[in-house]
Amino acid sequence: MTRVLVPVAVLEGETVSPGLMSLLGTVDVTVLGYHVLPEQTPPDQARLQFEDRATAALEDLSQEFRAAGGDADHRLVFTRDRKQTVRRVTDEVGADAFAVSRPTGDVDRILVSLSGDVDVDRILSFVEDVVGDRDIGVTLFLAAGADLSGGPGDAGGVSDTTAGRLEAAAGRLRDAGIDAVTERAADGSAFDALIDAVPGHDAVVMGERAPSFRSLVFGDESGRVAAASVGPVLVVRNRREVDADGANGAE
Amino acid sequence: MTDEPSGRNLDGDAPVAESVAETEEATITEGAELERTIGLTGGLAIGIGTMIGAGIFVFPGLAGGEIGTAATASFAVGGLIALLVALPTSELATAMPRSGGGYYFISRGLGTLVGTVIGLSLWLGLVFATAFYLVGLGYYALDALAQVGVTVGAGSGAIVSVIAVVAGVAFTVLNVTGTENAAKLQNGIVALLLSMLAAFLGFGLLEAFGVVAVETPPGEAESVWEAVPILSVAALVFTSYLGFAQVATVAGEMKDPGRNLPLAMVGSVVIVTVLYVLTIFVATNIFTRDALLSAGETAMVEVGRALLGPTGALVIIVGGLLATMSSANASILSTSRAIYGVSKDALLPRWASRINLRYGTPHVALGMAGGPVVVLAATGQVQLLAEVASFLHLIMYGLMCVALVAIRRDRPEWYDPDFVVPGGPVIPVVGALASFGLIAFMDRLSIAVGVVVIAVTAGWYFYYARDVTLKGAL
Repeated sequence: MTRVLVPVAVLEGETVSPGLMSLLGTVDVTVLGYHVLPEQTPPDQARLQFEDRATAALEDLSQEFRAAGGDADHRLVFTRDRKQTVRRVTDEVGADAFAVSRPTGDVDRILVSLSGDVDVDRILSFVEDVVGDRDIGVTLFLAAGADLSGGPGDAGGVSDTTAGRLEAAAGRLRDAGIDAVTERAADGSAFDALIDAVPGHDAVVMGERAPSFRSLVFGDESGRVAAASVGPVLVVRNRREVDADGANGAE
Repeated sequence: MTDEPSGRNLDGDAPVAESVAETEEATITEGAELERTIGLTGGLAIGIGTMIGAGIFVFPGLAGGEIGTAATASFAVGGLIALLVALPTSELATAMPRSGGGYYFISRGLGTLVGTVIGLSLWLGLVFATAFYLVGLGYYALDALAQVGVTVGAGSGAIVSVIAVVAGVAFTVLNVTGTENAAKLQNGIVALLLSMLAAFLGFGLLEAFGVVAVETPPGEAESVWEAVPILSVAALVFTSYLGFAQVATVAGEMKDPGRNLPLAMVGSVVIVTVLYVLTIFVATNIFTRDALLSAGETAMVEVGRALLGPTGALVIIVGGLLATMSSANASILSTSRAIYGVSKDALLPRWASRINLRYGTPHVALGMAGGPVVVLAATGQVQLLAEVASFLHLIMYGLMCVALVAIRRDRPEWYDPDFVVPGGPVIPVVGALASFGLIAFMDRLSIAVGVVVIAVTAGWYFYYARDVTLKGAL
């Protein structure tokens, strides 16, 4: 079963919007309650004081997720480094994606970015699982100049061109009964083009990229997309990393 | 022997006990996980950052002024003792990678009475050390003022006290209200200091071996190469080596503790020992005993001036300010952790470890650190503060070595250290003897103050926590 990790800053009163909750109703969810501590505070000390309160909130959240459809459990982590915690727990629970939680209403159409060096096959099967047989439209997006390598175009043999591969990806989703359209940006930076394409969509799905100089300077791409698009983002993890931890993360 | 602490204190609180599992990346308790976020670099920065302020920037004048070049031997002795203690501490820390450091090991190895005495003395020892760093900061601030043309004639001692008190209040308030991540800043400061020192010492050594020549002021006084003065200076400057045990207080937050804890502790001791010995060598090579003595706490500024002119003096002043600040700040943080460790075990009231909701910081513990620090800093007594801090730490160091021997003998089921000190009981026994032995060379007054502190903490145990049992628990 596909599993999504939903990190929530539980002691700061962050919660999960009903829209994201129902979008994830078709998959299993692990709610990651985290609390980022200043360095003056030993994590253990914070745990002693806040654990009960945080656990109560997390139990409520996972109950709501269960009511929305899929199975749900929760983890609670006290940390100084949010990113490190999200990566670790994603690996440990064997999640296929993690969410950047932002408010949204009912989800009618999602934007799926295939730009960059991402695992297209994995993203597409994740989208198929999430959408299921619901009436949610998908827009497949590819930035200008981006090549779609290793996509389903290879298998379908429709065309060797990038446009052909993008169309083949959409065809695969249509075969699964999903209303899929494609969109290619004409020019500009991949990030700006993606943000420009967001209006009309309620959530963004994107692949995980290796840390780059850009992400060091400007922060994680997923976080920036979530901030700029004012909506939730689902980041699909790369296959090899999940496989590497599949042995101990499967339980 | 039970695996869980038991008993109740005067307020009716019991020690917090739970079963936890340690992995390389997190501590996993029944209902929550604690992410390990400090790497080897961070651990080394804590150790070096805490230590370097005193040894390089405050003591060369005092130690060199006493015995001249022989002070290199004092620092080497101090480093050797620190290393003898750092190895057993590493073994204990990898077996119990929990916050609390030395207190935690001793209370589990030797029982509640000794644990209470050490837990509270660690708190107060860190308070003395922090006050000492702040007074050092005061001297450097005074020199910085002089450098920009503000000269203070009479009553400079009072100015130093005022600066130390203001800085103490400022650090406490910043730590309660600040949620900025100062750890990255600390790493940067340590890197900057190390590179400054490397350049400075490199040039100083070239001078010492006659490759370059600078004008050295004439002086008559000879170095004192005798065992007793060397050891008594070693006892004074031992405050320069307190930082490695601070690494143990964040043991619960280190990534891959089995590897990083020993490396950070032993590594930081070795690095600062080399730096200290070289610094003293350079300083005493340029200035004779009496010249260093008259320059006092900030003698290094004069050494910098002699070597590299006004630029050299400026570099040392900036370095001294940064180093003493980083030492003071790191010590306040360790103090608050020490208080938490004791309070969790019901040896201090539970409210001492409360965290405020607004900033998420342990304001009570930080106040219990900062308050007495400010009072002590107001005294402006560099040598007394340093020696009492050393005294209280040396008692803890000696007992940590004893605790290692005791725990190895008792072998609780959970005792499975990743790092084992080679050579059986030899190193911990020598380490304990050396730690206790060094105390004998301290000033009478410092010993008296230290003994009073210990008597008061023991009294607290009989009053407050007599029924708490910690020995052998995890």
